[in-house]
Amino acid sequence: METIQAEASTNKSVTAAASGRPLWKDLVRDKYLYLLLIPGMLLILLFRYAPMYGIVIAFQDYNIFKGVGGSEWVGVGQFTRLFGSPDFYEILRNTVLISVYKLAASFTIPIVLSLLLNELKNLVFKRFTQSVIYLPHFISWVIFSGILISFLNPVDGLINTIITRFGGAPIDFLGSSDYFRSILVVSDVYKEVGWGTIIYLAAIAGVNADLYEAARIDGAHKGQQMWHVTLPAIRPVILILVILSLANILEAGFQQVFLLYSPLVYDVGDILDTYVYRVGIQEANYSYATAVGLFKSLVAMVLIVTVNKLVKLSGQDGLW
Amino acid sequence: MRLTTGEKVFSVLNYLFFIVVMLLMIYPFWYMIMGSFSDSAYVADGGFFLTPAGFSLAAYKAVLQNVSILSGFKVTVISTVGGTVIGTFLTATTAYAISKKRLRGRMIFSFLILFTMLFSGGLIPSYLLVKELNMIDTYWALILPSAIGAWNIFVMQSFFRGIPEELEEAAKIDGANDLTVFFRIVLPLSKAVLATIGLFIAVWYWNDFFSSVLYVTEKDMWQLQMVLKDLISNTSNAIAQAGISISYQGDVNEFTIKMASIIVSSIPILAVYPFLQKHFVKGALIGSVKG
Repeated sequence: METIQAEASTNKSVTAAASGRPLWKDLVRDKYLYLLLIPGMLLILLFRYAPMYGIVIAFQDYNIFKGVGGSEWVGVGQFTRLFGSPDFYEILRNTVLISVYKLAASFTIPIVLSLLLNELKNLVFKRFTQSVIYLPHFISWVIFSGILISFLNPVDGLINTIITRFGGAPIDFLGSSDYFRSILVVSDVYKEVGWGTIIYLAAIAGVNADLYEAARIDGAHKGQQMWHVTLPAIRPVILILVILSLANILEAGFQQVFLLYSPLVYDVGDILDTYVYRVGIQEANYSYATAVGLFKSLVAMVLIVTVNKLVKLSGQDGLW
Repeated sequence: MRLTTGEKVFSVLNYLFFIVVMLLMIYPFWYMIMGSFSDSAYVADGGFFLTPAGFSLAAYKAVLQNVSILSGFKVTVISTVGGTVIGTFLTATTAYAISKKRLRGRMIFSFLILFTMLFSGGLIPSYLLVKELNMIDTYWALILPSAIGAWNIFVMQSFFRGIPEELEEAAKIDGANDLTVFFRIVLPLSKAVLATIGLFIAVWYWNDFFSSVLYVTEKDMWQLQMVLKDLISNTSNAIAQAGISISYQGDVNEFTIKMASIIVSSIPILAVYPFLQKHFVKGALIGSVKG
């Protein structure tokens, strides 16, 4: 992010410096730099910007055989259909709820964990712990969902084996609307909690050691030191991470949901991304699904721009 | 500095807490390893918790002879190597060019890259694009769409900014052009950041299954994770899918096959993890929020 800020601050001087010379001279002088730049920019234009042009089909009744040129224009018809559908409100609610639950868990637990990690004085033990808790971040959701599905299997899964041994009735966790969201949140925390501590640990390491010494002399015990010294010192980091994750409120974790959900739990688990996939790719309703996707992209953009403003207003450096 | 009794108690409890956390994190993997070595006859009898139920390598034999797993491995290795090489290289070249303040149009290029972080065309237009480009069922579809991303470019750019200008100027006086400077001076100095970005890209490609969902219709072009997903979710098909002869079925069942497949496909990630670890903490912090 520093880069992007540096960008903004140097923009003026660059334009001033460049404006004195004829363009072609600069182009010739930097021909090799442009040569280095072109392949990457072409990839970005092709795979990031061409799909933005593809958004026009959200305003059409797109027919794959007629193409963008030949398909019928329907204006905002797809959006009227979207906002008029009861499904939409259920899916939007699911998306926001799942992501707010995850946000609440993934913002508090890593902070607590890093405070405690920081108290481990045996460095070998601490490093080993860190290696273990970072690992799940690198395991794919496919493998993770495989573990979950096998653990939660109602017939012979480990959890249900334990439940039945104690005389309980087996529960179809992944097929139950009561449990599905909790499973999403818990498994997400399990996979990402370790990774989430990295940034807080770095911030905690930067806290001035004299502050702890002073607090100790004043008679503060460990808990008080954490509460009155460490937490206030890392508050800016916490604040900015929370604000930034608010911008991703419509990202409820596509891969995870996609791999774990089933029609049994659509009422609580179907989110915008999975809906786009089903309606668009499986049912080939290209225009309608593109409209849903556009709604999501637009909200995300408004959120991130607003959030960036807020971060800057709070006196921190924003994303740009 | 003497510790008070309270601090000692806290310290002991804290170590115990992390031992429990680690056990919780390790257990599922342990369980899978044990499951994969289990004898199917015992597994069916009722669970196991710490040690395998019986002992059998039959599941591994079956998995390693499984045509779809092997083809998944091939596809994933090719797209991971291709994607990592192309992705890392183009991220570096692009980042280097826009790191030069003298470059005309740099603001426009930077904005074009930044804007992709704010807005995207979405799933369907991307899918239709790959279809239009006739890339369905090709390695290009698995590699190119996600080869470079804005975030990595900006991280790399901030690293290049840290390389002293004097090095470049000295080389230029000796007659080097921008290409020689980039390849002979900048890249060798950037091994650490190239390794970090490269490893993140490689993990992404290795774990990717969704490109197969979107862009692949022929099963023999499925990535490994896609093969696994199919194996895991198609419960009744696991054995049939593994292509095991009837005589084998006494030794393996759906469960042991799944566990063995998961282990086999995780091994590459586990093997690079120690190397990865050296770099990723740095990678997670570069370009992130200032403390």
